[in-house]
Amino acid sequence: MQPDDVSRVLAPALGPKLLAVEPFAGMAGRVRFERGAALELFPRVRDDLGFRHLSMVGGIDWVDHREVFYVVWSDAAHQYLLLSTDVPADNPRVETASGVWPSANWHERETWELVGIEFDNHPDLRHLLTPDGYEFRPLLRSFKLHEPEELEVKTRHV
Amino acid sequence: MTTPAPLLVSKPAEPLALGVDLPMVDQPAVPFIEIETLRAKEFIPAAKEALGSLIAEQGQAKVIRPVFNWAGRNSLFPLHWGLACCAIEFAAAFGARWDAERFGVVPRSSPRQCDVMIVNGTVTWKVAHKLITLYEQMPEPKWVIAMGNCATGGGPFRTAYSVVPGVDKLVPVDVYIAGCPPRPEAMLDGILELEKLIRERKE
Ligand code: SF4
Repeated sequence: MQPDDVSRVLAPALGPKLLAVEPFAGMAGRVRFERGAALELFPRVRDDLGFRHLSMVGGIDWVDHREVFYVVWSDAAHQYLLLSTDVPADNPRVETASGVWPSANWHERETWELVGIEFDNHPDLRHLLTPDGYEFRPLLRSFKLHEPEELEVKTRHV
Repeated sequence: MTTPAPLLVSKPAEPLALGVDLPMVDQPAVPFIEIETLRAKEFIPAAKEALGSLIAEQGQAKVIRPVFNWAGRNSLFPLHWGLACCAIEFAAAFGARWDAERFGVVPRSSPRQCDVMIVNGTVTWKVAHKLITLYEQMPEPKWVIAMGNCATGGGPFRTAYSVVPGVDKLVPVDVYIAGCPPRPEAMLDGILELEKLIRERKE
């Protein structure tokens, strides 16, 4: 599957909300989309293109904005596809993918607690790797390594 | 002085049928057992009085405590759990080559059966509450060994966002073992250090 094949299926449905489909090394392509189009895009990628397995969700802090990306896998094409969207740093929220791919649930919890991306309508947005009550977003570039005395970790007994 | 009625009177022994005449010993006027009974009747209350305070003060320190310490330090049961890479060395120490069981050290899977917790790895804030819960579930007396640099002071992850800088922030630690990871010999050395501590234990 080539980026053209991907864009031929997605472009009519999404229109201008589909920003670009670019070639990406080792994958079927990189789909860049407006964050508001998430719920229109995900079912089409899963059902029309056949990428039925969500392999990972992650976030990147680009300082002026943040990026949320999804890596999906197609058994039929035997290929990965990268979906990515930009969110502003002051309001980093995007619709959850866990209604389309249930495996997004834990990945989004992790992205939320480490990169600070808010996932709307997530069924269970709790801490996954850091303790309950943990206040920091350690994978943001503004987070510096601390001497342990400077890092006041608050945890709750759960 | 009238002798009180004896509690128990021994029968004179039947002469042994040995075929030779043994020199006869005169039976004492009061049978032996009766004398013992009389002595005991006078002696025991006096001894109780004299020894009572002595036993209370010294018996604990001189008899019971050493026996307890001896038994305790020769059957240290560590909690069988692993937190990070040090757990591999912990596991190796119980294998055939190092054979920690020759010191009576047997890892147990339930904290209720353990008396020493070997913290063998990186303690994260996420696992901190579980560690404290496990520690609290262990019956007294109990000890903690911090194995490796991570458990001692955070190790290579000291400045990380998720690592407890030393397990002594959470539970009292008796023995620290340096190394990243400490070899099984070092872990056994730590256990022998703990045995020395237990030998000195007073209460
Ligand atoms: S001290 Fe070293 S070997 Fe032990 S848990 Fe930490 S990093 Fe791993």
